[in-house]
Order: sequence, then C-alpha cells, then structure tokens
Amino acid sequence: MSVHTVTHPSAVPATVHGRVGTPFWWALLILVGGLALPWSRQGVNVLAYDAARTGLWLLGQAWPVVTALVLAAALLFLGRQPLPSRTSGRVMLGLSTLGMALTVAQLFMRGEPFGLGAVVVFLGFLSIAGISLSYSGWLRVEPFAGAAILWLAVFIGVFILYPLGTMLATSVWVRGEFTLDVFRQTLRSPTFFLFENPWTEVSERRLAQWVGLAAGFAALAVQLVAHRRELGRHALRIAAWTLVSAACGYSLSALYTGFGALRNSVLLALSVGLVSTALGLSFALLAQRSRFPIRSLMGPFSTLSMITPPFVLGLAMIYMFGRQGLITNRLLGMNTTAFYGPLGVGVAQVLAFTPLAYLVLTGVVRSLDPAMEEAAQTLRASRWRLFHTVTWPLLRPGVANAFLLCVIESLADFGNPLILGGGVPFLPTEVFFAIEGRFNQNEAAVYGVILLFMTVGVFLLQHYWLRKASYVTVTGKPSSGHPSPLPGALEYPMVTAFVLWTLLGIMLYASVFSGSFVKLWGFNNTFTLEHYEALRTSGLGVFLDTARLAAIAAVPSALVGFLIAYVVGRLNFPGRSLLEFTSMLSFAVPGTVMGIGYVLAFNSGPLRLTGTELIIILAFVFRNMPVGIRSGLAALQQIDRSLEEASTTLRASNLTTLRRILFPLLVPAVISGLMFSFVRAMTAISQVIFLVTPSTNLATVLILSWVGHGSIGRGAALSCVLIAAMAVVVLLLNVVLHRTGRNAGRAITY
Amino acid sequence: MTERLPTGMGAPVKLEQVTKRYGSVVAVNGVSLEIPGQKMVTLLGPSGCGKTTTLRIIAGLESISAGRIFIGDREVTHQPASQRPITMVFQSYALFPHLNVFENVAYGLRNLRVSQAEIRTAVSEALALVGLAGLEGRLPSQLSGGQQQRVALARALVMRPQVLLLDEPLSNLDAKLRKQVRQELRALQQRLGITGIYVTHDQSEALAVSDVIVVMRDGVVQQVGTPEELYTRPANAFVARFIGDANLVEADVRGGQVWVKGYQVPDPPGHKAGGRRTLMIRPEAISIRPAGETAAGATGDPGAGTGLPGRVIDSFYQGMSAEYLVDTDAGQLMVIDTHLDGPVLPPGTPVTLTFAPRGMYLLPEGEGADLAAAAS
Repeated sequence: MSVHTVTHPSAVPATVHGRVGTPFWWALLILVGGLALPWSRQGVNVLAYDAARTGLWLLGQAWPVVTALVLAAALLFLGRQPLPSRTSGRVMLGLSTLGMALTVAQLFMRGEPFGLGAVVVFLGFLSIAGISLSYSGWLRVEPFAGAAILWLAVFIGVFILYPLGTMLATSVWVRGEFTLDVFRQTLRSPTFFLFENPWTEVSERRLAQWVGLAAGFAALAVQLVAHRRELGRHALRIAAWTLVSAACGYSLSALYTGFGALRNSVLLALSVGLVSTALGLSFALLAQRSRFPIRSLMGPFSTLSMITPPFVLGLAMIYMFGRQGLITNRLLGMNTTAFYGPLGVGVAQVLAFTPLAYLVLTGVVRSLDPAMEEAAQTLRASRWRLFHTVTWPLLRPGVANAFLLCVIESLADFGNPLILGGGVPFLPTEVFFAIEGRFNQNEAAVYGVILLFMTVGVFLLQHYWLRKASYVTVTGKPSSGHPSPLPGALEYPMVTAFVLWTLLGIMLYASVFSGSFVKLWGFNNTFTLEHYEALRTSGLGVFLDTARLAAIAAVPSALVGFLIAYVVGRLNFPGRSLLEFTSMLSFAVPGTVMGIGYVLAFNSGPLRLTGTELIIILAFVFRNMPVGIRSGLAALQQIDRSLEEASTTLRASNLTTLRRILFPLLVPAVISGLMFSFVRAMTAISQVIFLVTPSTNLATVLILSWVGHGSIGRGAALSCVLIAAMAVVVLLLNVVLHRTGRNAGRAITY
Repeated sequence: MTERLPTGMGAPVKLEQVTKRYGSVVAVNGVSLEIPGQKMVTLLGPSGCGKTTTLRIIAGLESISAGRIFIGDREVTHQPASQRPITMVFQSYALFPHLNVFENVAYGLRNLRVSQAEIRTAVSEALALVGLAGLEGRLPSQLSGGQQQRVALARALVMRPQVLLLDEPLSNLDAKLRKQVRQELRALQQRLGITGIYVTHDQSEALAVSDVIVVMRDGVVQQVGTPEELYTRPANAFVARFIGDANLVEADVRGGQVWVKGYQVPDPPGHKAGGRRTLMIRPEAISIRPAGETAAGATGDPGAGTGLPGRVIDSFYQGMSAEYLVDTDAGQLMVIDTHLDGPVLPPGTPVTLTFAPRGMYLLPEGEGADLAAAAS
C-alpha cells in the first residue's frame, strides 16, 4: 500500500484535468441550499418556504449554522481539485463529518421538525464524506460508490433500523423508566395467549405434557427402527429428533387447546402455509407435467392476486359466506357466522398466497432436469423410488421455502383478519387495536416486537438454513427432454383441487364486482350505479391522491432497491454483508410492525413526520424497496461479470460502467421494479393505516373504513376501480417489457 | 495523458513473487516472471493451474496477496484495472450487447474523451485491421462467433495498449476457424509490436502462436522457454507430458553412457551426471521392428542390432502412421511409426525398439517422474 503514491485507487484517468472535483459541486449545493432554504418548519408541509428559518436569517443567531456553512466554504476550496491527495481526502472527511454533526446539533437545539435546507445540507455533507472516504484510501472503492454506500447506510439506518429500534424501546420504556411490566402484562393477558383455561375440567398444561411425551416417544421409536443398524453413529440425530418432536407436540397441543392472538396467528400461519404450499406444489407440477392448460390459467391468477388489495378477498368472503352470503344464506338457508374468524381468514389467505407458493415452486419444478429422472430410471429405479430418492430431495428445499414464505405472509397479513376476524384476536390486528382502540402505545409495541421476532425468526430460518440445503440453482435455462408425466392417481385429485380453487376465485372476484352494482348485497339486490356515483364525491379524490403518492414513491423504491442490489452484488467493501443482511431483513418486517415503528419514531422532535405526505411516501419506499432489490439482484445475475470487467479494462470508471453498460441492460428490470413498487403501494394497507390523516387518506384505508361502517357496496366499487386500474398498469407493463425485453433479451443471450 | 501509443511500443511485464490466495487456497504461488516486450507469451497449463488468475492479476481484475507487478518501468501493483496500460480479450468476448459494433469498439476511446473525429478514424482503422469494415452498425447478436471474436479484438487493439491480454480467445470457435484466427492474431501482434499475453490450455495452440511459453501447474511456474526448448528439453516430467506425448523411462547413467534395461541408448542430450535418472523419449523417436529383423533401411541408428525388446499390446492404424502400445521391461511405451512401409503389426508381435537421439532428453536430476505411475 505504501509503495505507490502517484495515484489512489479511485481516480479516473486521462482528461479529468481542467475539471472541478465533485465535492466542489456538493459544497456549492450546501452553501446555496443552506442559505436560501429553511432549516426547520412548523407545519406538515415539508417543502414549505419560511424566510425566518432560512440559513441567511439564522446566520446571526445560530452558531451551528454559521459553522456548518463555513465548513462548506472550506470544502468548496478543498474540493476544487479533481484528484486530491490522500491527506486532503482525510481533511475533507473530517470537515464533512463535523458538518453533519453540526446540522444535527442545530436541529436538536431548535427542537422543530427538519426543513428542506437541513436535508440538503446534511445530504451534501454526507456525499462529500463518502467521496472523501474513497479519496482518503480508507475505503477502496470509487468516490461515487463511497457516496452511494453512505447514503444507503444512512437511509436504512434512519428509515428501517431506527423505527424498529424505537418500537423495541417503547416496549420496555414506559414514561422514561425501563420496565418489563408491559411485556409481562401482555404475555399474561388472555388476549395474547390463554393456556390453562379455568372453565374446562381438564388441565390443558397436563394434556400438552402428555402429548409432548407421546410425540417424543413416537419419534424415538421411529428413529430407532430407521437407524437400527448404526445406533451409535446416529445417537445425536436420534436425540435431537426426539427432543424436537416432544417440543413440537407440547407446543402444538398447547396452541390447539389454548386461546388468544398468538395461538390464532400461529395455527393460522401453519395451516395456511401447509395448504397453500400443497396447492402451489400441485399446480406447479400440473403446469409442468400435465396436458391440462393450467399454466395459461395460473398466469392471470397470480397477476390478479398481486394487484388485489389484501382484504378484497375478505370482502368477497363476506359476500359469499357471510351472514347474508349468497351461498350460506341464499343457497343453504343458513344464518351463520362460521366464516367470521380463523376459518374465513384462512380461506381468504389460502386464496391470496397460493399463487405465491406456485411462483416459487414452479421455478423449482422447472429446473428439475428430466435427464436426472431418466438417469435414475435407467439405473433401475422404480417410479416410487425415483420420487423418494431423487425428485423429492430436490424439491424439498423449494417446498420448505414456499412454506416459510407463506407462513411469513400469513403472520403479517393484516387486512383479512381485520375484516373477517370477527372479534377473534390475531397478532397484527392486536397491534392495531392496542393503539387505535386501547390507546396503549407500549402494548402495541410489545405486540409489534413479538410479531417482528416471529417473522424475522422464520425469515432467518428460510434464509440461512435453506440456502445451504438447496441443490437446485435456477439458471433460467430450460432443460431439454420430456419430464415424466404424473401418475393418474396423483393427477386427478390435483386437477380437481385446481378446478375448485379456480371456481372459488372466480366466484369471489365476481361477487365483489356484482356487489358494487347492487343496492345492498343480500337484502336488496336491485341493480344500481349509486356506489360508483358516490365515488365521484368522496372516493375519487382519495384514489387519485393514492395514485400520486404511489407513483412518487415508486421511483425511489426502484432506484434505492437497484442501488442496493448493485452495491451488495458487485462492490466489495467492509460492512457489505451487514448492509446485505439489513436490507434482506426488511423483507421480513410485517407492514403493521413497520407502521407502528414509523408512528412511534417520527412523532416528535427534529425527525417529526407524522401527518405529512412524506411519511406515507417513505413508508411505501422502504416497504417496497425489497421488491426492487430482488428484481435488481435477479437481473444482475443474468449479466455476465466479464462485461463489467471489459468495461473496466477499457478505462471506464465504476460510474461509467454503471451508466453505460449495466443501466441500459437493466432497463426492463428497472421498469418492472417501478411498476411493481407502484402496484404494491396502491394496494398497501398495513404499514400506512397508522399514518393516514383525514387530509392524507389512502384508497385502501378508505375501503376498509367503508366496509367497517357498513357501506360495503361503495367499498366494493372502489375496490373494483382499484383492481381495474392496476390491471391496466400491469398490462401496460407487459407491453412495454415485451418491447424492450425483445431487444434486451436477444442482446443478453447473443 | 492518453495511453494510446504509436505502434511498436509493447512494454515488458514483470511479476515479482506474486501470490494470490482465496482463503486457504493458493491460486498463484510466488510467481516471478519477466515477459519481454513485443513478444507473444503464452501461459499454458491444465485447468486450475492459475494461468487465468495470473492474467487477471496483470489486468488488475484480481487483487494480489503478496508481490509486485511492473508494466514497462512503472509499478502497477496498486493501480486499478481502469488505469493500467492493458486491454483484454475475454473468453466470452464480453461484447456489450446493447451497443453496435462501432460503439463497442469506440467505447474505450470515449472513456479517454478522445474527439469524435479521431474516434471515427481509429475505429474504422481497427475494424479494417481485423477485416470487419462495413459491419459498424450491427449488434453483437447479429454477428457470427468469429466476427464477435474480431470485434472483441478490435475493441482491445484500438486502445493501442502496451500489453494485450488474451484469455482463451479462441476457445469458443470451431476447430477450423481457430487455426485461421490464431495465425491472424499472431501476425497482428507482430505487425503492431505489442506485448501479447495469451492464456490457453491447448498446447498445440500455444506452440503455434508463442515466442515464449510459460508452463504452470498448481499456481507455480514449471518452465519458461521457447516452444522448441519446451518440446526438446522439458524441465521436468510434468512439462514433458504436457507438451506433446512423452514416454518416461528409468535410465542408468554410468560413465557418460545411458542404459535402459540392458539397451545402451544412443547419446541423448541432457546433463549426464551418474545414477538413476529419468529419460524422456517422444513416441515418434522410437523405431519399431519385429524381433529378429535387422534395422529396416538406413534409419540412422548407430546401435542397430541391439535395442529394447518388447511385445505389442495394442496397435492403432492412423493412415499415414501407426500407433503402438508396447510392453517392455522399462514399462509400457507409446510408439508412433511415421514411415509405415509394411502392414501394421498385430497385438502380440514380439518387437525390438530403438531410440533416436533427437527425440530423447535426460531430465534434470530430481525432476524425474514417479515411474511406477508412468509405467501403468
């Protein structure tokens, strides 16, 4: 390292002479923005201009502002060199860090929410710090990458880690004192979990102990028989299986006989996970190996489930199976509430999450090379043995993956339990009721923490355990050869399940559609357009607002997602795995948890954002960022690294390579990332339900409140508008992708 | 400031004790090399020998764990790839799929902020050089494999690099085209006077294009020399077997004379220190005749009449020649009979083998093969 002094690793060669370094421009931005824009604000309009709060006005009274602007002037001077030395890089790093600290200090001393000027100044110093980190030689990446890394670190820290941390803190800090009382009270409350039911004669605890014991012995027996030849070598494995089975037996029994949100959420998640995965696997197998045209039907269904707000199926369930439901009441003459509660929620979730399982599993099934099965057959494997020894072991990681994904989605789902829960508590709805009904932030935080730990636990299991276990690498290359057809005994039940599932889906969507055209479903089924007309006065404005906010949020979601994908996937720097881990973690944060975190974190002080449109946009961005990351990583995997290396050996800087090589190749993926972020924001509910105000309402929240107040028809009408609009967007997307994709696809596989 | 130079400026490259570790795996182990300027040098070895890693280290695409790298008289050890006076032709060509031929070739010049007019002349010159004039507007996907390869070459040459790195550039071409392109490549490199560093695992390709060949194995340089030196005087058993086919037999050296199991071999080249040594004989340097017959014609055998007795195990008719596997006291030997003037000897025929000095070499002491393995 010490040998050469001529150049530092970041410089762009050749003709940068005569130009001014990037820090110069950032420093200029700080000076202009810091002087002309307000450092803080009073109202909820983040963009408001307020002459009395501009830097120019503050010069005489606030020393941090003065000092920060002086530092910016110094950086303007230092940053004019295009290729500063390591020493001056280090000086600039120190000055810009000080500048950030001064900006924060000013905000805290003033005590008002931040203004645009402070944002510009802070981000300006942040960028200079990142660039200087590279100049200083401490971070061996290019200046642009250094700035990008710092930006991402700050954004993830402030908008993901800080809200979650605040939620954690709120769960144990009550009125300035550390206490575990809220945890204790919540965990003991029958709403959370009631184990020993005083109204029954049997002891649930005793029962659970017996079941656990029985499960343990059963597992022991099975293991002993299975490994009878080599007991010594498998002793550890046998012991582990026995203990795990006993624990599972005990907890399942406890959950089954118990009551409360924990019990309901976990049992629901497990059953929905099992059923959705089984259906998803069946449909995936059918799509690949059956003569029935399943694939062409599954496509629209997965699209439809993606563009449907999460609770619309719940709404449809009320239409079909509710007290006045078409099937339960009209056809069967029942007056039942059986579908309010876990059963109804479960059915709605299975309908919503089966396409997800299908999408995961169809990739796995497709990447099963038929040649492998043919090889096994030539090695005299029977059909059952083939499945047992080859197909199933290869499918297993994918199946587990789909199962865990569905479990996470079910645990985190908020809309369906809210609409169909029928007063039965679930974890995500308890977060909501604790804050909106019982006005207890601490209790809401406790529920949030529990929910977060569960989903993150499942996510970590999925992420680390399964990644090791997976043999199938999805190459996107279709394998040749004909996969063996399914045995009829398997195929026909699968087809029946598919037909039933499809009919149910069609029926539910149709019911929402027709429900929006009748006066009052079940009571007065005369045709009317009144719900749509009513939308003109109250719903349309909200719908357009929602579309505007979702569109604004889509751009940063996709860009931040792609930047993270690039930085994590292609750059090498200390802290990379931490960044990767945190951004991956955001996949697993339930919307409700994020919403409560935002409410708690951005409610006061310099970072106050509640009541603004910005907080809704930010909630969209950081909730949908994982979509961008995922499609970015997938797209980057398709691009051979030698393209970037070729660009590098042709004297291109990382930024040039990103701009001229990667970005054009990623355009289709960026477009779809944008569109999906938009669609997800339009249909989001859980993370924004706490954040809306009468002046910043959102379509989904409005539908939910209409349904809650009995205006089901109007809710259905707005849902239909929402779904139709999303369908148009997705169709447009397909057209655009088809156009650009044809070029890009041909280009990439040349 | 631009790195574009007039022709004939190929710079020498020097590696000093370069080591690259991936965790506990040593990919390149203390490699020191002096690559002369304006020559074509090949890094040759089996897959996993560290040749591509060495090339990428020179390019700056891999960081190194220890050692120093010089191009010309400048140390470039810590310079990023985008600042080294090299360009590279990738195995996959790595053409930018969204840019047409012209823009692909112009890409590097644009990064150097060369003027538009200059770019136009330089690109058409480079395309003419590789015989692709007129294809400027095509996308890479509209070109054949051979044309893509030439675009990759033009894109590298247009930068007038001091060193041109070629990573198995011909491996994606069919056999016929490969032969033609490698000759063109060789001619271009000599005409432009650039230093070429060429990675391949194909020894015939290496022999055909190189001034100097560097044989590598397990991250260590085995031998550096001209193709002829490597073929006639391999430094060790590995090189002997990797360049061409080789029989390795145990020989006794007594008083300047070399004996293989009672057959006094006509004076082979190599240092004749006494003791047990390893003798390399190329299969085409062994004459084969049925036992009892005298040497057929004037093959220039001074030791006619004597020879190593053996028995044919297997024979393969090859048209112009015949290939035999012969079992002898010194192990199984491969024999290529290039002047086939009678019928091919069937398996089981007792034969006498004699060795010609031009195809023999006494390997340096301590560099012999594990002859038990060689005999099997």
